[in-house]
Amino acid sequence: MTDHSRRQFLRGIGGSLLALPWMKSVARAGSAESVPQRMVHFYVPIGVVRRGFFPGESGDVIPKGNLGNVMKSLGKQNPSFSVQPLEELTPTMQPLENFKHKINLITGMDRTFQQGTDVHAQCASCYLSSAVPYTVEGTAWPLERTLDHIVADQIGGQTPFRTLEFSCNSHLDNKESIYFDNISWYGTGHLAPSIRDPRRAYDRLFSTNEVTTLRDVTSLVLEDARSLHRELAVSDQRKLDEYFESIRTIEKQMDRLSAMKAELAKVDFEEPPEAYLPRGEYIRLMGDLMVVALQAGLTNVATFMVGPERWDTPYMFESLFDTPRSHHQMSHNQTKMIDDLLKVDRFHMEQYVYLLEKMDQVEQPGGGTLLDHTLITYGSGLGDGSTHQYNDLPIIVAGGGDRVKSGQHINLPEGTPLANLWLTQARMMGVDMERFADSTATVDSLIA
Amino acid sequence: MLSITRFVLAAAATLLFTGFALAEESLPAQADSRDDVFQLFRRHCVSCHGEDGNAEADVDLVHLDAKSLEANSELVRDLFGVLDRREMPPEEERPLGESDRSRLLSELRGMLAQSVAKKSAGTLTPIRRMNRFQYNNAVIDLFDLRCIVFTLPERTMREHKGYFEPASGKMADVVHVGNRPLGKSQMIERRLAGVAAFPQDLRAEHGFDNQADHLSMSPLLMESFLTLGQSITQSPDFTEKNVGIWNHFFQPPDASAKRDNPQAEFVSEISQRLDRFLGRAFRQPVSKSLLERYVAFAFSKIESGTSFTDAMKATVAAVISSPRFLYLYESASAENDYALASRLSFFLWSTLPDQELRDLAESNTLHRSDVLKQQIERMLKNRKIKRFCDSFPTQWLQLDRLISAVPDREKFPGFFFSKYRDSMHMMLEPLLLFETVLIENQPITQLIDSDFTYRSKLLDEAYGELATGKVSVGGNGAVTVLTFQRVPITDRRVGGVITNAAVMTMTSGTQRTQPITRGAWFASVIFNDPPDPPPADVPALEEKPPVEEEQMTLRERLSLHRERSDCRGCHEQIDPLGFALENYDPVGRWRDQYDNDRQIDSQGRLFREHEFQDVVEFKDTILREKDRFTRALGGHLLSFALARALEPSDEIALDEIVRSTVENDDRMQSLIKAVILSPSFVDQAPVSNPLETLPVTP
Repeated sequence: MTDHSRRQFLRGIGGSLLALPWMKSVARAGSAESVPQRMVHFYVPIGVVRRGFFPGESGDVIPKGNLGNVMKSLGKQNPSFSVQPLEELTPTMQPLENFKHKINLITGMDRTFQQGTDVHAQCASCYLSSAVPYTVEGTAWPLERTLDHIVADQIGGQTPFRTLEFSCNSHLDNKESIYFDNISWYGTGHLAPSIRDPRRAYDRLFSTNEVTTLRDVTSLVLEDARSLHRELAVSDQRKLDEYFESIRTIEKQMDRLSAMKAELAKVDFEEPPEAYLPRGEYIRLMGDLMVVALQAGLTNVATFMVGPERWDTPYMFESLFDTPRSHHQMSHNQTKMIDDLLKVDRFHMEQYVYLLEKMDQVEQPGGGTLLDHTLITYGSGLGDGSTHQYNDLPIIVAGGGDRVKSGQHINLPEGTPLANLWLTQARMMGVDMERFADSTATVDSLIA
Repeated sequence: MLSITRFVLAAAATLLFTGFALAEESLPAQADSRDDVFQLFRRHCVSCHGEDGNAEADVDLVHLDAKSLEANSELVRDLFGVLDRREMPPEEERPLGESDRSRLLSELRGMLAQSVAKKSAGTLTPIRRMNRFQYNNAVIDLFDLRCIVFTLPERTMREHKGYFEPASGKMADVVHVGNRPLGKSQMIERRLAGVAAFPQDLRAEHGFDNQADHLSMSPLLMESFLTLGQSITQSPDFTEKNVGIWNHFFQPPDASAKRDNPQAEFVSEISQRLDRFLGRAFRQPVSKSLLERYVAFAFSKIESGTSFTDAMKATVAAVISSPRFLYLYESASAENDYALASRLSFFLWSTLPDQELRDLAESNTLHRSDVLKQQIERMLKNRKIKRFCDSFPTQWLQLDRLISAVPDREKFPGFFFSKYRDSMHMMLEPLLLFETVLIENQPITQLIDSDFTYRSKLLDEAYGELATGKVSVGGNGAVTVLTFQRVPITDRRVGGVITNAAVMTMTSGTQRTQPITRGAWFASVIFNDPPDPPPADVPALEEKPPVEEEQMTLRERLSLHRERSDCRGCHEQIDPLGFALENYDPVGRWRDQYDNDRQIDSQGRLFREHEFQDVVEFKDTILREKDRFTRALGGHLLSFALARALEPSDEIALDEIVRSTVENDDRMQSLIKAVILSPSFVDQAPVSNPLETLPVTP
């Protein structure tokens, strides 16, 4: 009975039970050192309604219409550094009530907009790279290898998947470009595409297909790639490098997946249905897949877009409104739609909290939960959907266990680059780096 | 010596044909004429672009000298563009006199030609991965499949009962079609079971889904390609019945024949088969070492006990995962026609070159303009040109925006029928018009103002006042196979791709029209001059007007909401285009008044030059500026063909494309031919002599 009671269950889609795959391993190798650190980024598109999210701004003016050229706060930002205990939560943050002791609210962080690209496209695609404007040559985007990949270089080396990218984008129209639907990039112009379809994600993680037969194929085509490389101009060679990298990554992935085969067989996760899922269920199913991947050791690094940037096309937020709505269009109409927008913000926060709950239920060998061994950051590339501001972004860092000081509201002085937080996280993950993108320092109040 | 002669001849020719004064700006005078340019900048431009820290649109004309201007061909092109379209200086600024304007234009044009020529390397077509539409076609053709690989919603219009006969040069009067993304069961097609498509590639910022910079490779996608190699060849439908090359490729060699050295002959047989196959898959003859690798691969499978057929399947699964198959590229060393054959084939057919193109590449004659012209004509008559119709027009017109356009159900109940929407029918009208103009080789001005269209009964009735009333065949509520009939148009308010219900609906909101969206669509699609993304600090209009605005027209409401002067530049350009179409309501029906009984005001001015009172006069003004449309469509085609955004050097090519198309009565096939024969497409080498290709300015 004790054995059984220690067993944790995660409730999967449609009430099916997701059993923890690690129980036997826990008994055998229960040392804390063997538990890897993980990092997750949860991206919220189109900013938030400031009045609902930021402490002290509840009485601020509601931005009128699309204030695309403003790109700064309408209200006054607290210009000085402060760290306070996180006590009363703002309405949008209220779903986090039970996690107050495991999170930090960080305000006052900025990104610098580089002129010449769409504001929504850049706020998503450059969120995790934040390069100094105009330093990346040959592109209009301040976009370099993103934080998740830099961290994965450090902690993703042993898992089958270095990183996993999820995007809860259920749009059927091919309306927006890749810059709206991806926060994860291997490098400038080199996209790490996200999975939108839960069935595809499931197949990728748990497919029982025998992949080892691909081994001799990959060595054959690699030889083609080598000979082709010699025939190409330099710029084209760089493009072809994507092919080399992909093949080599897959080769490693195949080895590791086959080594984990027995463990993975224990994962009890119902195959996602083909049928249409209401938006919340769809997001949570994608979330379940991400959590199980982290839990099962399939990856240590993941990014999760709760929706794509902009993408005007309305869709149903089943639990919120009767008709399909466009988050983006509403954001340009805050004076009128503020209540509905607050519902959307809160809905996104609930999905974030769902993930925290899931992760906090997974016990790890040597104590602590999966959440305690993961830095999971909520954030948006816009500080507000109307002002389109790149400053004072909404950021919440959860998890990290005793390596992180938690339960605080950290306000950073005006002009603090978001990259400071990314540098801090990279170092916490063991990356030895002096500077990340346009960073100027680390966020020391976060470090225990 | 030779080069001097060429220089003189070319300069003389320029003088003769263009009449604009390049010769008098021969080298000594050049410094002065450049001074003039900067003087004009100072007089008309710098107060917004350079002085006192103003650099609107990031353009600074103060801190700039002749040398740096000449070196910046993008800037020269943009300056030329805004002057040419009379976008600058804006209306409220001191006007630029006509003679000064032409002086500036010709100077800038000269600089453009020179800066382009100075570039050491021509713009190569960049390496790019196949998108899934191309992959689908290439796999079908490689195996000569009698079904498709995957069913793709991006191939919007489904052909039923085989109406498409390009060789006849005539579109049928009655066609049966379906709408894959919006119709019923239109995605159910004969295909390979058990094969899953990889995700659709998103459209590039600058247009099409085949653009090199947007098509990258990742482990996730590579997994798909590796898996596809297996699932295609392992599909239960991958059999003799469906695979055209089965007998001479997958079928084991005849074992009963007598052999002296069975093993050697066997290897030689495999080798011959693979040599042909690899040459087709990789679009050029393969090296001995490459062939040997694949032969060894196949042979090792057989030796390990795999059957001949399965070994060959395993081998081709590898072939279609190879970068030489998945990537389209120009080999930096090869001076041959194979790359041209591939470029041509992927442009017009979205697939691998066929035998004839390969033969011409082998004899190195394809690049000869007579041969190339013949091939283009042949390709335009081949049924594979349907693949061009399946990809280019939908993307050019951005028709997939219609998929998600859902007008308000209460306000537009007529838009909905059974469980479907009229857009299912609407979307096919401009596509059928495009196909007809293409295969009947009609003037492209038909795309602006056509004297015929294709309508279904349902669609015609949905047009209300704009119905032709002449659709006599087909039922009313079809949702699978839709019958469209060619009908003449006498009412010039309809016809062309710009006023049809599809475009009017997809550029509207749920409650009202969106003239700015329409204008932006128009500027991008018809003039290939997309406005910058709106950083407008102007509140978007609410769908339903607030009380105080209820009695206003949309134009009044919009101008009320647009007070800042720095928005005007763009809006002066796009607003007239959108307001010209205000008589079409959010589902494309005609209206003279708004719901509040205010009269609709659609008058305006095109390029700040041509006045128009209504949409018919608007069409007239576009026809008067038809060469701009030719240039725009030529530019879209060139960008689609080269898989990249246009660069300044392409402007020179476009000059010639327009000239040649005009000479041929603006015919669609002539335009396509001119695009292919242009140096941007044919030469993957630097543009030779600037003066030889110097443009003709109208």
